[in-house]
Amino acid sequence: MKRNDTLTGQPMTGMSAASREAIASSGGSKASNESSGASGGLATRRDFIQGVGVTLTVGATGVIGACSMPSGDSDDPGAPASGPAANDAVTPNAWVSIGADDTITIQFGATEMGQGSMTSVPLVLAEEMDADWDNVRVETVSRHDPTYGNPMAFGYYGFPIMYTAGSAALRGYFNAMRQAGAQARRFLLDAAATQLGVPVEELSTQPSRVVHAASGQTLSYGQIAAAAEVPGSLPEVPESEYKPRSEYRYLGTDVPRIDVPAKVDGSAEYGIDVQIPGMVYASVLRAPVEGEEPMQVDDSAARAIPGVTDVVTLPYGVAVVGETVEGTIWGKNALQVTWSENSRFRDTDQARDLDEYEARARDLDFSTGNPLWQDVGDIDPAFRSADRVIEAVFRSEPAYHAQMEPLSATASVSADGLSAEVWVSTQTQSLTAMAAADLLETDVDRITVHAMYIGGGYGRRAEYRQKDVEDALLLSRELGRPVKVIWSREDDVRDGIFRPLAAQYLRAALDADGQVTALHQRVATPSVLSFMNEPRWGLSRNRDGISMNGAQTTRYSIPNIRAEHVMVDRCSRLAAWRGVATSYTRFANESLIDEIAHTVGSDPLQFRLDLTRDDPAAQSVLEEVAQMADWSQPREGTSLGVALSDYGGASVSAGIAEVSVNQETGVITVHRYWMAIDAGFIVSPRNTEAQMEGNIVYGISSALKERISVNAGSVDQSNFHDYPVMRINEMPEIQTRALPSDSPPSGVGELGLATTGPAIANAVFAATGVRLRELPMTPERVLAALQEASA
Amino acid sequence: MATFTLNGDNVTVEAEPNAPLLWVVREHLGLTGTKFGCGAGQCGACTVHVDGASTYACLTPVSAVEGRQVTTIEGLSEDGTHPLQQAWIDEEVPQCGYCQPGQIMRAADLLANNPQPNREEIVTHMSTNICRCGTYTRIVRAIERAAEEAGNEA
Ligand code: FES
Ligand code: FES
Repeated sequence: MKRNDTLTGQPMTGMSAASREAIASSGGSKASNESSGASGGLATRRDFIQGVGVTLTVGATGVIGACSMPSGDSDDPGAPASGPAANDAVTPNAWVSIGADDTITIQFGATEMGQGSMTSVPLVLAEEMDADWDNVRVETVSRHDPTYGNPMAFGYYGFPIMYTAGSAALRGYFNAMRQAGAQARRFLLDAAATQLGVPVEELSTQPSRVVHAASGQTLSYGQIAAAAEVPGSLPEVPESEYKPRSEYRYLGTDVPRIDVPAKVDGSAEYGIDVQIPGMVYASVLRAPVEGEEPMQVDDSAARAIPGVTDVVTLPYGVAVVGETVEGTIWGKNALQVTWSENSRFRDTDQARDLDEYEARARDLDFSTGNPLWQDVGDIDPAFRSADRVIEAVFRSEPAYHAQMEPLSATASVSADGLSAEVWVSTQTQSLTAMAAADLLETDVDRITVHAMYIGGGYGRRAEYRQKDVEDALLLSRELGRPVKVIWSREDDVRDGIFRPLAAQYLRAALDADGQVTALHQRVATPSVLSFMNEPRWGLSRNRDGISMNGAQTTRYSIPNIRAEHVMVDRCSRLAAWRGVATSYTRFANESLIDEIAHTVGSDPLQFRLDLTRDDPAAQSVLEEVAQMADWSQPREGTSLGVALSDYGGASVSAGIAEVSVNQETGVITVHRYWMAIDAGFIVSPRNTEAQMEGNIVYGISSALKERISVNAGSVDQSNFHDYPVMRINEMPEIQTRALPSDSPPSGVGELGLATTGPAIANAVFAATGVRLRELPMTPERVLAALQEASA
Repeated sequence: MATFTLNGDNVTVEAEPNAPLLWVVREHLGLTGTKFGCGAGQCGACTVHVDGASTYACLTPVSAVEGRQVTTIEGLSEDGTHPLQQAWIDEEVPQCGYCQPGQIMRAADLLANNPQPNREEIVTHMSTNICRCGTYTRIVRAIERAAEEAGNEA
């Protein structure tokens, strides 16, 4: 089997690589010992060493530098570590450094993949510190360091890891940023009191300035830092002393995202853009079936291609290395490889596999022994005494992330093979570094991870073993020079990691009054976590939150609930996907709720309002979205469907789709989509709106047309022609609203995506009387369902 | 070897005639604002202008631009202040941003030929370019804003 990637063509002669400038360089080393926590000790800037990933300076004209070299570290080894009038900068804690030149540098422990956290997270610190945002630099931390780990990602390993997923960046770092900022401000006030010889109680702050109103004296933060005595450690500032929201200057307003200017002039550097002196390119021909190995390699044609310098056999493929990207692609397409052909995945047959999942889901006696995902009350008596039982099966096919930047990584491994620098678009510096250390059998502290801008993440870059990084590390170690590997789109699809195949059996018990007395959801799908992150799976007590997220029912007042993970064998590679599992789990339970509403003759919106009687936030978003869509207004030629979905616990959303169905072609058109959310305090209103729009687009796109199929061990799709995603001409009109809230920010990056599938299916039912129970809702499936109903 | 004009400068590159312009611009010449998305003319991430017309750099062999004018996102304006770039900032269009150089180049071609496009013309013209982050609503708004501001100045 030989499938050429696009970008082929016959090479001619005489090519050579043009020389290129280095645009990123090394700079990371270990954090100073003092920088050991938000309340840790002080260090002068010279001890405070940061690595280089994405670094941005906010200024009057926006961004003036990206991915710069670290700068400002004193190169005078004899300079005192601290003392009056001697500091280039001081770092009151691990998160922030105040330069004598008034520049404030904030460390960013997450990564920027379009969600805006690189602005919103440091902005919280700046707000609490009363820093002038125009003089803030943001540096992405470029190594694994629990100091900068997301506190919400603590439970996975016993220490916090840097892990940008689960809509948890702002949510997880919110309090740490407030503490770090409050602590820095307190330090500056105390130092200013000493320097001015006035009681600290008489001082106040304005952006990056301490003011003594009584005397009219002021000191800039930089002036204070230059002359500050540096105490050994700083105490925690109690939460009661944080800035009240009424005094916020930045949070809650539309502060422009700092990454945007570089993203419109082409200067933003993504992982795929990295160029390192002395590097070579590599393209890897990967085994067409998971788990197979190259047995025989004929590389004579590949080696004859100009620019190709090496062909390296890897455990899972064959790499063509050379001086140009195009040479390595041509070389890869010229390889003749015989594969081992012994993988168990050769037996996969998606239609049959899904039927088997369904049989397992339906078989109430079948259990895989793992703990119940949710267990409230006791469903058994409720089903025994039910007046009516409503049951249904929902099926969903794998989905692909389709992030616009294909995988790519650059690595430079030291001559002894025990240290490495990696440049990559990653959602997690920690896992990238930990897995690299595993691979090289070295210490994690010897791995630098330059976390570049990410051209779309959605879960594609959050797994433990990132294969692009593995390619680059293995090849760099083998060849003794930096290697940049670029995956083709075809590689990215065929060697993709997917939202899993799933079949779900749901049933609900109703009493004689039509009240729901029990809900039971059995989700037959493989364990995603055990595949995407083995170490974390080992610590998860057999509960797979990546496979099961959203199968729990928390917003509805139903007395007895059981949700079960029927853990079946996987048929493809797996990953978390945007919204994690909610796109299929909520498709099932929000469709079933709708079905129950219609069965008992209740309006689907009113039915949900009744069920959420104990949940004011859920009621508010339902009421709001109903008003936005003018729910009770009859329409001509279109129909409405509603769905409710929370995400990450506190955030909740409600969506309404307005659709029409072409009965001849089976095509569903979504004309409008409304969404209302409660996600706690909204730090960045305009960016929140963008995230809601993004979730709606991603959700509708996948619900209507995205499908991966794996047969005989191979992925059938390869590029956007056979994995189409939503384009601009298919867009519905979108209207969104975030409700005001005093609760802490609770995450918006994936919120609402899960409403799209069920809202559309529910609208299709309203339009046609036909229930669609399989994702994606392709025209063929719609036609089949319509025909079945009329037969 | 190929010689062409890139963002106003004459450049000569030692590359195979069939080397895609995309890799020549990005990797040989280091202008990485032009992005690789699909390599198949499906996504528009690689959009550049050849003699002013939107072109998929991934499908264009460098020999095809011999002696011609190539413009990339880096050369669209001197300092990132093309009306579309300004509108993109004002509407805060980018999320991950990866598709945006291609979107802007594609939109610039539209406005150059049709300074006041209606919404349908915008959507039809831009349907070649995928944005997985779903910034489509803002792309339309930014193009309308740039067109409107140009109209006000005229
Ligand atoms: S990379 Fe050229 S169209 Fe996608
Ligand atoms: S902004 Fe991410 S793909 Fe368009």
